[in-house]
Amino acid sequence: MASNNQAAAVYATLKEEAEQNRGKLFEKPLILIGAATCGRAAGALKLVEEINNELSRLQLEANVVEVGCMGHCYAEPIMVIYNEGFPPIAYGNVNEGVGARIVRDYLTDGDPGYEFALVALEPNDFFPTYSDFPRGIHENKIVLDQCGFIDPQNIEHYIATGGYSALVKVLEADPGEIIKTVKASGLRGRGGAGFPTGLKWETCSNAGGTPKYLICNADEGDPGAFMDRTILESTPHSLLEGMIIAGRAVGSEKGYIYIRAEYPLAVERVNQAVQQAHEKGLLGENILGTGFSFNIEIFQGSGAFVCGEETALIASMEGRAGIPTHKPPFPADAGLWGKPTVINNVKSFSYVPHIINNGADWFKSIGTEKNPGTAIFALAGKIENTGLVEVPMSTTLNELIFEVGSGIAGGKQFKAVQIGGPSGGCLPESALETPIDFDSLTEAGAMMGSGGMVVLDEDDCMVEIARYFLDFTQKESCGKCTFCRLGTKHMLDILERITKGHGKPEDIELLMEMAARVKEGSLCNLGKTAPNPVLSTIKHFRDEYEAHINEGRCPSLMCKDLIAYYILPDKCERSCDACLGSCPVEAIFSNEDRIKVIDQEKCVKCDSCKVACPPQYEAIVKLSPPSEVAAREQGEGVK
Amino acid sequence: MKLTAEETRVAVDTTRDILSGPNDSRGNLIPVLQQVQKKLGYVPPVAMQEVAAHFNIPAVDVYGVITFYNQFRLTPPGKNQIKICMGTACHMRGANIIQEAWERRLKIKVGETTEDREFSLERVACVGCCTMAPVVVNNEEVNGKITPTRVDGLLFSYELDKKNAAAEGGEDNGQ
Amino acid sequence: MGNQITFTVDGKIINAAEGEMLLWTALDNDIYIPHLCGERNEKERPASCRLCFVEVDGRPAPMPACTLPVSEGLVVKTRSERVDALVAAGFELLMSNHRLDCKNCPANGNCELQRIAKARKLRLKPKNLPVLDKGLPVDDSAPGILYDPNKCVLCGRCIRACRHSGNGVLGFTRRGFERIVATFGDLPLGDSGCQGCGDCAEACPIGALAKKA
Repeated sequence: MASNNQAAAVYATLKEEAEQNRGKLFEKPLILIGAATCGRAAGALKLVEEINNELSRLQLEANVVEVGCMGHCYAEPIMVIYNEGFPPIAYGNVNEGVGARIVRDYLTDGDPGYEFALVALEPNDFFPTYSDFPRGIHENKIVLDQCGFIDPQNIEHYIATGGYSALVKVLEADPGEIIKTVKASGLRGRGGAGFPTGLKWETCSNAGGTPKYLICNADEGDPGAFMDRTILESTPHSLLEGMIIAGRAVGSEKGYIYIRAEYPLAVERVNQAVQQAHEKGLLGENILGTGFSFNIEIFQGSGAFVCGEETALIASMEGRAGIPTHKPPFPADAGLWGKPTVINNVKSFSYVPHIINNGADWFKSIGTEKNPGTAIFALAGKIENTGLVEVPMSTTLNELIFEVGSGIAGGKQFKAVQIGGPSGGCLPESALETPIDFDSLTEAGAMMGSGGMVVLDEDDCMVEIARYFLDFTQKESCGKCTFCRLGTKHMLDILERITKGHGKPEDIELLMEMAARVKEGSLCNLGKTAPNPVLSTIKHFRDEYEAHINEGRCPSLMCKDLIAYYILPDKCERSCDACLGSCPVEAIFSNEDRIKVIDQEKCVKCDSCKVACPPQYEAIVKLSPPSEVAAREQGEGVK
Repeated sequence: MKLTAEETRVAVDTTRDILSGPNDSRGNLIPVLQQVQKKLGYVPPVAMQEVAAHFNIPAVDVYGVITFYNQFRLTPPGKNQIKICMGTACHMRGANIIQEAWERRLKIKVGETTEDREFSLERVACVGCCTMAPVVVNNEEVNGKITPTRVDGLLFSYELDKKNAAAEGGEDNGQ
Repeated sequence: MGNQITFTVDGKIINAAEGEMLLWTALDNDIYIPHLCGERNEKERPASCRLCFVEVDGRPAPMPACTLPVSEGLVVKTRSERVDALVAAGFELLMSNHRLDCKNCPANGNCELQRIAKARKLRLKPKNLPVLDKGLPVDDSAPGILYDPNKCVLCGRCIRACRHSGNGVLGFTRRGFERIVATFGDLPLGDSGCQGCGDCAEACPIGALAKKA
């Protein structure tokens, strides 16, 4: 126990230092700017520059820190200001001009600029906090708690807020106890399948063969999912801490983080975190003087969705094409280089420090018995408040979409929600009361997946979304096994002909038959789940398939081959040339009455004219099937 | 595509330089290829042969790896790499329309490079900026909420940058 | 291998070494199970052709026999409605991507696809599916060997043969539907360093690689 005391003492010193250093930031006004990839795409780096310029122009003293993502992506770029006399305030949609103005008014005149404020971060008498909104009521942030509030490039921020204390706790504990706690917590792997994490660790721990390896699967490839990216970019140390604890638990001294190539900023942040953890003695040889050693290396993916499958991931780490192999053996018995290997998702590892600190019972008190803890979802698509949310398991889809996400954008009608990416399915309105957990979603015909959720509205064609996902899995299929390589290809060809208006009445049955075989016959889960988007859309939206096949009509006016753009002659303002100017292919001309007409032969259906047409006219519509245009023109006497 | 003698020489030298670091454990294969691609922008056959010899594996195995993963290119990219995000959110918000706008403007198809090697056009798997859909990654910069008009705008700003650079270069030469 | 154990396949009692893969023990006992990719003495078991499905008592779904180690008391059926449907579907998929030209094919009469079709009463020509012919050039550049990638079913036997006794010029390239057996840089076999031993053609079960007449 002496060494444990020693580790605790070393940690106490680290923490004190970190608290002091972080505390210094608050001695001046502190400005946080969300600069994860999403923030950057919205112009966060320009905002940082502008704010620094403004500060030096006004000769104001303040600390500006780039942080990760708070999850409120709909309001990017986001800025938070801590200034004495007021609660910390988060501002949304802060462009450079607004940012400079807030800083100027707030730091010189004491006007916090409530008109730009999203929310206050602490209870106060001036301004609502998160808990005053439905989102704040439903959210229960565990893993995301510090995202967007601490500097991901500075380990001291993590330590100052209690980071690495769980590691200190387990360093001298019996590894079996760690596994016992994780097992008791009921934590299920957040990579998609929901396999019990503790059981996986136990299998690996018991497996013969050394060395043992740990791999964090950060190959977040589901289109529409960005939870792992946000965690890696916003709080990379929580992942590292979880991995070191897992290493201690299963008896591994070597961990890898497999990050996909499309996440360069995440790679940078994690590399930095690894280096800083080394410098503090929290990673590497003889951690905190306890004799336990653990190293982490980063392996970058090369762009192959199938590498999210664990045997394919291992193949790619071993220098081969990412091609899955038959299981068993499972990686926990024979994984990387044939050695016992634990593979967990970013989120799964990130829960671990919290479970160690707060206990298995605490974790089980959140969510449901079989699905304890929280679910982290990336909300995207036609939803008002896109972003990243963390809610207790068993929250319903309805609550998530209409309360947390504030419903459908633009006053449109909800049609479906796509959950679980290419492995998942589309659930209709009637399924909105489904609670979010591994089992209920699978039962409803979707899948938890890794947590991507794309909301679809009345303008989204369900055949097209099925085609999109099949196109994705077909392109990402490794091509090894017959069913996935050829089955998805045939299914895609059928869906393509349906969206082009060449579907045949028997196509729906053929799709269903093929889907059943591909599910049953494929080697790995990519193939086994690839038909889900097709099956779920046929099940819930068969009428849309039938409209395409039988009438050559796309009810959502989305499938390009089945629609045409048409200018309503009685709505066209005539003297306005907005559409004409916007057309990239000169397909719009003025007729002798100066009414604008579209040359259907030339039109590339790019939607530019419809966007350009001033909203007070709304003269441009989409028609389906395209033959409607001729009928209308005749009826309305357009020349 | 045929490489010039100079391109071949650079490719071989760069690859050998990279190979002087790691040992021949096969786990180093993909990181090595990634470094080659990072330095050269692509992985030409001569580089693959050097790599195969280093790892003592058949050259076709390196070729198999290169042609398996999306990230690797066999031909040099354009000076400006335009990557269109094909994630779900981007797709539902019209990524295809954006792709066609680039194709129309650059007069190339996805996967191709313009003749002057100024631009190459690619599709890229979800970059995780779904809330900014549709998204285009130009070189390393993520641009959100793209419309066909913004495609024109981005192209225009490249032209402008190029002209300015040329003008500055001209002045420099004049001095 | 482990101890001798006893199990049943289609009601027939079989003795074999524990841990041997079911496919080989069945074949040893004259019970035919369709298969293309598996090779008995290879360490690598691709399980990629998906034709050797069997039904095992106590298992919820059919499973491939090539990766199923036999154990004491195992009860296996090589035919059932489910297995037959699955094998038929897999076979039809493969045939939808196989350039069918038996009359002019060097493997005619000694072709694994013909054998499977006969054993399971399946059509060589796909019934419900259109044929997806890639239209790749036939390679006759190597002395003595003819390679028609449009016939290939990607079993990988040629690649393994080429590594055992040839120069290791063949390999899997690309992915998904584009996946093919090719040489470095897609060179014609004749320019690839192929020594013309012909072992690939020996290994090919279906005539995609064949010795020139």
